[in-house]
Amino acid sequence: MSLELNVDNLVKSFGQRKLFHVDQLRVGEGESLHLSGENGSGKTTLMKILAGLERPCSGRVMVTPKARRWWSDRIHPQVIYLHQTPYIFSGDVRDNVAYGLRLRSYSRRDVKLKVQQALAWARLEHLAEQPAYALSGGEKQRLALARAWILAPSLLLLDEPTANLDQHSVRAVSELVTQLLDKGTTVMVSSHQKNAVTDLCGRRLHLENLALQELGNAFSNELNNEPELKYYVQH
Amino acid sequence: MAALDLLFSGDAELWSIIWVSFRVSITAILLSLVPAIAVGFMLAMIDFPGRWMVIALFNALMAIPTVVVGLTLYLLLSRSGPFGEMHLLFSQPAMVIGQVLLCVPVLVCMSHSAFQGLDRRAWETARTLGAHCSRAAITMVCEARFALLAAVLAGFSRIISEVGCSMMVGGNILSYTRNIPTAIALETSKGEFAQGVALGLVLLLLALVLNFTLASVRGKGQLV
Ligand SMILES: Nc1ncnc2c1ncn2[C@@H]1O[C@H](COP(=O)(O)OP(=O)(O)O)[C@@H](O)[C@H]1O
Ligand SMILES: [Mg+2]
Repeated sequence: MSLELNVDNLVKSFGQRKLFHVDQLRVGEGESLHLSGENGSGKTTLMKILAGLERPCSGRVMVTPKARRWWSDRIHPQVIYLHQTPYIFSGDVRDNVAYGLRLRSYSRRDVKLKVQQALAWARLEHLAEQPAYALSGGEKQRLALARAWILAPSLLLLDEPTANLDQHSVRAVSELVTQLLDKGTTVMVSSHQKNAVTDLCGRRLHLENLALQELGNAFSNELNNEPELKYYVQH
Repeated sequence: MAALDLLFSGDAELWSIIWVSFRVSITAILLSLVPAIAVGFMLAMIDFPGRWMVIALFNALMAIPTVVVGLTLYLLLSRSGPFGEMHLLFSQPAMVIGQVLLCVPVLVCMSHSAFQGLDRRAWETARTLGAHCSRAAITMVCEARFALLAAVLAGFSRIISEVGCSMMVGGNILSYTRNIPTAIALETSKGEFAQGVALGLVLLLLALVLNFTLASVRGKGQLV
């Protein structure tokens, strides 16, 4: 199950305007990364490229081991991207959580069981039969996490998961992310500022001046002397 | 009163006309449905050079008078035309072809705007959760189902009530190609109003039923 993501010489532009380039990025199993950068620096675009939802202009994203499926696809089944504001399918909360499982060949009983587990995990059991569009922002974010969790992804890309959430919801989301990390899931979180969820992350990546920079490891102290990190802390 | 008598006494001629109308128009809409919605979907999802021109073209086709479509098809199917060999003129298949040509632009344009009204995130969410392209497309159809239903009803309304094309390529033959609109036109020109009024009532009733159905499903599936 160990998944590795490799990026080399990736460039993304929109028309004539270059958005960013990534010289090299390696993400291994069980890592946690915080992707920072100002609004409009390209965090969302980079994460969508990593998830295979958008094409880079040059370079490519390699996810190993490759998925064994009869169709070829840029999108790896073990890599899931979550939008800043989740898209909620019509139907109730249960339908939404079950979406990914129903695409795969699981029996009705297995789906029911796993959906129940996912709802319990995200503390959404009491809302299971509610129409999903009526959920609050925090509940929608938890629903999106449960919808991904149920598929046991190896790499989860969370796009600003706490923007627009109140303190209580931020805490709930960061608890869920902690559990994902404990399970060995690789998690990348984008956010333009520090918060409870980004504090869980070991590696720091920063998008600025059209490039992705590695700012070092938050869990090791020697790096505090690096000028780049100081620069980061000031902002 | 004579009109109601005709309707409820089970007049064979009247009901054969209604049957022709529904048979032809339902066949036409069923044949058009999947290809037209697929085109509408691709116009909404795939960015290719000249896309706006294709969209404008379908919009223009939607506004063409039915007699002009009828005339074009007549010329194509008439004995000296390119498809004259097939002997389709003045037959139900000719009427079906005409009605397909009439409802495809409506279905394409309206399903295109139905899909355009959806969010790109719907597609991305389906894909990242493991849906293959075709499966994600089905999800998009489900998400846009109310707007798509409205498109189908609009397409059906256009063909069930059109007179020009059916008259030209169908020929108004009783029990074979005489449908509700062409019968109304003929009977009225003969000064016989009872049958015309009875058939008009059927169309009116149909319009009411379809639109109330649409309104009620829409009401239940309200967005926030
Ligand atoms: N499809 C697109 N076409 C043109 N420009 C785009 C497109 N998507 C994003 N951009 C531009 O790319 C820039 C980065 O966007 P985004 O990745 O959303 O940044 P962030 O998530 O860091 O705020 C924005 O300035 C945006 O206008
Ligand atoms: Mg963003």
